[in-house]
Amino acid sequence: MARDVIKSEICPKLLTGSFGNPSAGALLTSPSSSAYLSSPLEMDPETPFTLNISATQIADLKHRLELTRFPDELDEAEWAYGAPLADIQRLVSYWQTDFDWNKQQAVLNEELPQFTRNIDVDDVGTLEVHYVHKKSELEEAIPMLFVHGWPGSFIEARKILPLLTATHPDVPSFHVVAPSLPGYGSSEAPTKKGFSLDQFAETCHKLMLSLGYSEYVTQGGDWGGLITRRIAIKYGGKHSKAWHTNFPVCNAPQFTLNPFHLITSFSMILDLLWLSDFEKQALQRALETERIGTGYLRLQSTKPQTIGYALADSPVGLLAWIYEKLVGWTDGYKWTDDEILTWISIYWFSRAGPAASLRIYYEVNAQNELVPSVHDVRPTIPMGLSYFPKEVASLPRSWLRRTGNVVFDSQHDKGGHFAAYEVPESLVGDLRKMFGKGGPAYGVVAGSTGFKLS
Amino acid sequence: MTENPFIVSVSDDELNLLQQKLAIANLPDELDDVNWAYGAPLTDIRRLVARWREGFDWRTQEARLNAEMPQFTRDLEVEGFGSLNVHYVHKKSDQEGAIPLLFVHGWPGSFIEARKILPMLTKPPLDQQSFHVVAVSLPGYGFSEAPKKKGFSISQFAEVCHKVMLALGYNEYVTQGGDWGGLITRKMAAMYGGKHIKAWHTNFPVVRPPEFSLNPITLFTSLSMLPALFYLFLFSPTERIALQRTLTVQRTGMAYFQIQATKPQTLGYALADSPVGLLAWIYEKLVAWSDGYKWEDDEVLTWISIYIFSRAGPAASLRIYYEASASGRLLPAIWEWDQLPRIPMGVSYFPGEMLLLPRSWIRRTGNVVFERVHDAGGHFAAHEVPELLVGDVRKMFRAVWGVQY
Repeated sequence: MARDVIKSEICPKLLTGSFGNPSAGALLTSPSSSAYLSSPLEMDPETPFTLNISATQIADLKHRLELTRFPDELDEAEWAYGAPLADIQRLVSYWQTDFDWNKQQAVLNEELPQFTRNIDVDDVGTLEVHYVHKKSELEEAIPMLFVHGWPGSFIEARKILPLLTATHPDVPSFHVVAPSLPGYGSSEAPTKKGFSLDQFAETCHKLMLSLGYSEYVTQGGDWGGLITRRIAIKYGGKHSKAWHTNFPVCNAPQFTLNPFHLITSFSMILDLLWLSDFEKQALQRALETERIGTGYLRLQSTKPQTIGYALADSPVGLLAWIYEKLVGWTDGYKWTDDEILTWISIYWFSRAGPAASLRIYYEVNAQNELVPSVHDVRPTIPMGLSYFPKEVASLPRSWLRRTGNVVFDSQHDKGGHFAAYEVPESLVGDLRKMFGKGGPAYGVVAGSTGFKLS
Repeated sequence: MTENPFIVSVSDDELNLLQQKLAIANLPDELDDVNWAYGAPLTDIRRLVARWREGFDWRTQEARLNAEMPQFTRDLEVEGFGSLNVHYVHKKSDQEGAIPLLFVHGWPGSFIEARKILPMLTKPPLDQQSFHVVAVSLPGYGFSEAPKKKGFSISQFAEVCHKVMLALGYNEYVTQGGDWGGLITRKMAAMYGGKHIKAWHTNFPVVRPPEFSLNPITLFTSLSMLPALFYLFLFSPTERIALQRTLTVQRTGMAYFQIQATKPQTLGYALADSPVGLLAWIYEKLVAWSDGYKWEDDEVLTWISIYIFSRAGPAASLRIYYEASASGRLLPAIWEWDQLPRIPMGVSYFPGEMLLLPRSWIRRTGNVVFERVHDAGGHFAAHEVPELLVGDVRKMFRAVWGVQY
């Protein structure tokens, strides 16, 4: 089971340079760092942001790629030992030559309206957070916070954004906020130890408040699932009104001396007798993933700095590290080379560098919170759950129901870990059902039902 | 099959590429006040990279290695894998009655681990046992060729090492090994013990912990192992500390094992391409697994350079983890009687070793005739405390060589 896991000096700016420049105008009128304190109906003006990787950074990347030293590979290894050599060589060659980051960047900037904002995190200080924000044309749209995970980023919102913000009399419309978590994309990373689920939740929550969304709903998978769960616990009811996740993970039954836990554990075992075929396959997949697919998890949870040196220095190293998951965790998704390289370039060019993105694993593992526990505090707000067949950590519905107030659940026959990217219509379809008229979470945000007030 | 003398002679091209990469090394940042908690510290790595670029002279190190360690290569047939060209150190002793000894390294070690013990073993004081020493570079390490096919596991490594000895005319010999060398020489003792291998010594005393399975033999044996744990907690503070250390390593220091055993290729791209990445990867273990050993920067860099310049590249060296884990359980189990070697076994316990298990368990993993507990030294005993290891090896093998068991 995905059980509790055993758990610069600054480089020249050109190498870990920021993801771009806030527009000059905004610099002059930039909001104070206490923006998050604004009242629900007002917000400080947003600071627009565009990705703008310098030519020097791009040239540096290409120079490194040119010097790539490849390993060999065993005969007929295919995927058994990791990412196959032929794939990686092809991708490196393309990355070095014809892959056009500037073009991909331009498309991202066009599709995803981005901003930055200073968020003050308790006992940490101020972090500049990069986020996507797209409002629906409908004023009464539901404010939704979308939180990515690893090895994802804000890019995971790109396909669902137009679907969620669309207006149509039959489906709810959403205002969408998709931050880059601290240490990812263009967001600043914390510099001190201990930045864990509470801090990530606080950052996202304060971002929503600062944008004038006192009440909102959330969607998240991977770390986004764990962070939005924490938001539901800390801010649920008053601010977070409902939450949806496509990451149905929780702990395995544990045999401790606590009698209540024991009872729960026994009944979780009994639940196994009534698994559907889908759930049985999902469980098998989760076990297999734990057996051969969690080395990265253990490593990032215990020695993120050690592996960080390699990922910060070697584009091919970073490429392979992430590519293996992009393919391994998806349901036959036909990744184009442009897609892969855009995903990985976001990590390579990220403000804090790829090593920073690993630390969330260490911090959360240090608090023993890598896997949501059925014995934990349950968020009380309505919870939605979507099961995708190729999700890697997909546990029985009956177990997940113990971890929240599940009012909506669905099961699909296509899609994997990166649901918002692989099967955006399925994921959005679920959100529309959950929040739409007649849906179990309809109207959770007063005055913002997603439909015109008639 | 003939023996070819070999000298380490890395090409200028390789040296230049390394320097080019170091010149553009992109170091990550680090959180405040983390020291070693998150992995190899930035100050150390930065300092090592600076030294590597300026000051560290590979040609000098290379010349020293060649001067100290007479090396050779030879083609060997391995069943199912064809011919492999194997690199090894071979030094004969001048003294009467020298015992042929095979030394087998592990990861992240190499043939370099034999450098300090070599003169001590081959040229001891006259009243001490002398040895003819063979130190093999395991296939995929140092200057040995790596296998190209899947499935090259402990038995194959054992076969290669044994064939080197036979090819050198050592029909009877003894072995010394730690880390993978310990597991490989254990396998050799089981496969070739008696007829060829007369005794074996290890500084990597490992055993599978008790298992509560439904198999009665396993269960009863496991139950019989439990008193040792009670003894530890009740009576022996030093062993209790050792067990704590073992648990800490298990909890926070075994991810390298898991990734190497499951996705060596994925990790391999980073280690092959980034010298800094490889440096940090190995350096973390050199420090974590040694017992306060004062690594000099040039020592560390020489050690890692061997991986960088290795014939098969650093990625190949990881595959033993995958193959050995895929072919079954790694640690010897006391209840698997038929697999335990019968020839005389010697064990040296060093306090800095990464796994420290009850000695009463270890005694049941073979025919232990020699045991010594030290109060200094760690995982890389031959490198950290060569005189201690050599002292044990001399004593043990003098006593058992020539004795019929």
